[in-house]
Amino acid sequence: MSTFNDQWRDSEADEVSAMLNDLPQVDPPPTMIDSVMSAIAKRSPTSTTAPPVNFTRKGGTMAKKVLWSVAAAAAVALLIMRWVGYPPVEKGTEATIGAAQRYQAPQISNADVKLEDAQLQAFLQSDVFHQLTTDKAAQQALKNKDFQRALADASIRAALAAPDVRAAIAGAAANAAAGARIDAANNARLDAALRSSDALRAALAAPGVAQAIANSALAVALARSDAAFALSNDVAVNAVLSAASVSLDAAAASSNAAANAAAK
Amino acid sequence: MVDTDDAAVVTRCLAGEHNAYEAIVSRYQRGLFNVACRMLGNYEDARDATQTAFVKAYEHLDSFDPNQRFFTWLFRILKNECLNILRARRPSEPVSLDLPAGRGSDPVEVRERHRAVQAALLTLSMEYREVVVLRHFTDLSYEEIAVMLGIPATKVKSRLYTARQQLGDILVEWRVAR
Repeated sequence: MSTFNDQWRDSEADEVSAMLNDLPQVDPPPTMIDSVMSAIAKRSPTSTTAPPVNFTRKGGTMAKKVLWSVAAAAAVALLIMRWVGYPPVEKGTEATIGAAQRYQAPQISNADVKLEDAQLQAFLQSDVFHQLTTDKAAQQALKNKDFQRALADASIRAALAAPDVRAAIAGAAANAAAGARIDAANNARLDAALRSSDALRAALAAPGVAQAIANSALAVALARSDAAFALSNDVAVNAVLSAASVSLDAAAASSNAAANAAAK
Repeated sequence: MVDTDDAAVVTRCLAGEHNAYEAIVSRYQRGLFNVACRMLGNYEDARDATQTAFVKAYEHLDSFDPNQRFFTWLFRILKNECLNILRARRPSEPVSLDLPAGRGSDPVEVRERHRAVQAALLTLSMEYREVVVLRHFTDLSYEEIAVMLGIPATKVKSRLYTARQQLGDILVEWRVAR
């Protein structure tokens, strides 16, 4: 059942159709044929300049078949070249295709072993470090280049780590704590221990080294193998000396302040 | 539906007898030019599109399928030319409805109505406009239009129905239709 609106729409459509059919035919320009013919006179259909074209059942041309055949042959050739690896790829032309060359660090050796930060931190926070920074004699001893060279020698550090040598140094330290003056030359036990190593003996021949070992705070430090090892590192030695200078500066500043206060 | 005359002319042209093409131009120039006029709404543009379509058809005669109607093939070429011209127009550019007036009892009134219908036709989208033009300005059947556009005949009818309704709404708004 059609509604009033549908009927109106149908009648409207009929009126539109009538209006469209009423539009007049437009005559083409009288020069149309001449214009077209003069234009094509300068051109030629493809078949007059190209080989004869054979129509196929679907309206295509043999040229398309040839095109597809060439494309298929090219694809097969590419696959074969890929399969046999021709042309060969020259060295250095890999570009970004392939495995990336990553940095590979060599294996670590004994020479690469340095004082670890953890060891250094432990030494800087130890009582031995504090004692060394507050002992002027120890600092003077550590400034001794011969002694530093002796500590840098692994064989000397090994000799200092020997139980009898450590016992001798500890004994010397105890004597120093008791107020007795340590004299390494006169201490037969320590002298025997120190001279048990050729390297240590050579180090002791250098001026200042024996005196440095005879120092009380340094003897305590050398009695501990970890502290002795730490002192063989320039960083640790410099840390002791730097901390000592800071302490001295602070003490000097404190004394100056006290003197100024007293003056007022 | 194959026109043997057209196929024969095409064969002669492909054989190098280019003057034979004049028969094709003479036979289809009126229908093709009117289609272009209604699609573009401008005499000069329609003339250019029609001439270009004929020339391009001649240049590609080797790709013409003799199993289809020559006018169908020509229309597809013409449609592309019309689309090129429409694309080249600036959106704000007013279309000059410069088409010759028809015969009528009141030339002024009839001419104004024709101009309004043509202007309303140009407001349709291309898919609706081409159906209206092919149905009302050529002698093609629904089935022939369907083959020409590559759509089912039922789709042609539905598009034609929608296009007429849109035209009716526009003409009512413009107070051209009741």
